[in-house]
Amino acid sequence: MPDIQPTTDPARPKSSLRAWFDVRGRSVSTLAFALNRLTGLGLTAYLFLHLIVLSQLLRGPEGWNDFLRIAKSPLFLMLDVVLLFGVVYHMFNGIRVALVGMGMANRQQKGLLYGLVGTGLVLFVVGAVLIFTK
Amino acid sequence: MNSALPHRSLEQMAARRDRSGSLWLIQAFSGLILVILLGLHMIAHHYVVEGGLRDYQQVLDYVNNPVVFILQLSFLVLGVGHGLLGVRAIITDMRPSASTLRVVNWVLIVIGAVAIVYGFYLALALQRMAG
Repeated sequence: MPDIQPTTDPARPKSSLRAWFDVRGRSVSTLAFALNRLTGLGLTAYLFLHLIVLSQLLRGPEGWNDFLRIAKSPLFLMLDVVLLFGVVYHMFNGIRVALVGMGMANRQQKGLLYGLVGTGLVLFVVGAVLIFTK
Repeated sequence: MNSALPHRSLEQMAARRDRSGSLWLIQAFSGLILVILLGLHMIAHHYVVEGGLRDYQQVLDYVNNPVVFILQLSFLVLGVGHGLLGVRAIITDMRPSASTLRVVNWVLIVIGAVAIVYGFYLALALQRMAG
């Protein structure tokens, strides 16, 4: 079924993997979809890392409090901001991907993209400020 | 040649890809539930607590709440499932052979099962420590 291959363009045949990294002439929606997948991969990796970090709790208060000291360092807080961006972007653009994938709101997908990702960006900025001030 | 193809968005093409889109539907619905669970998780863990993160005793008190306990385990199962289905969708896009996809499926199932079992063990151990 050639019509269900999203990442190859007959005008520039190449492998599916390489096509993902070719951003020439891509629409905003396509780039948003690609970024959704990239953030998804990052969040999946983080989820497993998070489980490993939480195992520090089994070492008792000292193990966890040692981790907290590292977690409150400026470098770690910067990584938290990157994580927050991934979470918020994947969350809000993911709503659009799910709705459009189900055949809903096809015509409004660009509006949905700007509306949802815009809302997400506002929340991201607020969240990022709180990370450093709370 | 290209114009003869029906126009579909990338999201719709992803949705139709395999097993009649059933796995994609599971991923989409789990994603919509995760929006709520992850939102609650982020707020409860990082924005409600003074200082941004719970200390040891606060974590134990938190997981000892049965509602929180169930929400956290739901979050774990849905998060792992959603994430690994996403990884599978990306690999499927690269058009692997049937035998490769079988191997990928088993690897992802094993990773998911280990993560979920470990997450349950961790949650139950913390609840025991809190009690």
